[in-house]
Amino acid sequence: MDPSKFSPRFFLRTAPLFLAAALTAGAPGLSLLSAADDSSSSAPVRNIIIDPGHGGVKPGAKGKFGTLEKDVTLAVSLKLKALIEKTMPFRVILTRDKDIDVSLENRAAVANNNDAQVFISIHANGSVRSKSHGAETFFMNVNASDEETRKLAYLENTGEELEKRIADEAQDAVKMILWDMAQAAYVRQSQRLAEMVQEDLNLELGLENRGIKQAAFKVLQGVACPAILVELAFISNPEEERKLSDESYQQRLAESIHRGLVRYLRLFPQK
Amino acid sequence: MPKSAHAILIPVLAVLAIGLALFFFLSENRESIKKAPLTAGPAAEEGAVSSDLRPKRTVTLLFVGEDSESLIPEDREILADPASPAAEAREILRELIKGSQTGLLSAVPPETKLLQVYVDKEGTAFVDFSREFADRHPSGSTAEIATVYAVVNSLAQNLKTVKKVFLLVDGEERETLAGHIAIDHPILPDFSLIAGR
Repeated sequence: MDPSKFSPRFFLRTAPLFLAAALTAGAPGLSLLSAADDSSSSAPVRNIIIDPGHGGVKPGAKGKFGTLEKDVTLAVSLKLKALIEKTMPFRVILTRDKDIDVSLENRAAVANNNDAQVFISIHANGSVRSKSHGAETFFMNVNASDEETRKLAYLENTGEELEKRIADEAQDAVKMILWDMAQAAYVRQSQRLAEMVQEDLNLELGLENRGIKQAAFKVLQGVACPAILVELAFISNPEEERKLSDESYQQRLAESIHRGLVRYLRLFPQK
Repeated sequence: MPKSAHAILIPVLAVLAIGLALFFFLSENRESIKKAPLTAGPAAEEGAVSSDLRPKRTVTLLFVGEDSESLIPEDREILADPASPAAEAREILRELIKGSQTGLLSAVPPETKLLQVYVDKEGTAFVDFSREFADRHPSGSTAEIATVYAVVNSLAQNLKTVKKVFLLVDGEERETLAGHIAIDHPILPDFSLIAGR
């Protein structure tokens, strides 16, 4: 899908839809509009959202020696939060700061409710191959079906009329699709952020470059700002599992992500 | 009795014993052969014979290799049923669940059972797996991507009528397979994940 289809005008025209959709998750509609509008003046201090993957009854991937993805993600997220707050004028909001289960939709809602500048989800990878190793950074693959693409194109062309005409029930379906695909408007910036974070991870860790990748991550779908998902290393690889539970390695991971983020924010200052 | 008599008697007894054993074994077998048609019915036996004559086709299934993240193709013969893409889809998925015959790794948990397959007019295959498909999944982004596209690509590349695949677990839509990759919508194939593409 071509992200350029999501012009600011498109967001303004469909604002009522977004606002209505936003009610299901809080009230992120306004922040969504301003974030999408390139011409808006620089805002006051904004928020960086860090999302430690999994938690509570959802441990995520498990290592052979019992390391759980949810524990690694929280440890690295807390270190990253501390680094950002020490060096940059941003407020950092964690989607969870303890071992609890937070729904994927609520994680996106934290970003959309708090005028987020960027959203970084932290994960540890798992593979059926025990040899898989290295860090990689993902951004959203919208993977819209033909039907969804058609609906979006139709909406873009007939936004206002459509709202008046379509039945309430049908409108609900349309709203959900728009909300589902909020990330589609930020794919290019998300890609830049992913590139920079991945470069710094590679530099710091001297690992084989697994590159940046696109996949349909549920947690990124509804996030209305540049958003990435960092896979720190493979918890399914015994050697990397050991590293992931090592605090100094966790610190190096957090520092690498931090460096990539700083470079990105210099290139794309607050807007 | 002289030792020479023993030397003759023992082999004779041994031959007798083997003969008796063979007799009972064979007669039991004969009985079971006689019984089989009674329980299974003559029609079933005819079906079993004619099934071997039904047309076959070669399909390409996707597994995971030890050395890369790409999906590795492995050919397999299934019963051809050109009139029913759902029937062929079922064959493909059953073979996929059985796993590789050449030592490749399986992206689908082996405990998974196929519950139902339906292909609609628009070319969406609805594939309903038992809960083991998600519950026994090891989780992890890379593992989930491999699983989703081993299934979606295996169907789409062998069946012209299948354009996308909606994965269901125990009859229901799921948000993600195991916490990462969204499966709450029909998924288009991504052939770039296959080795050599």
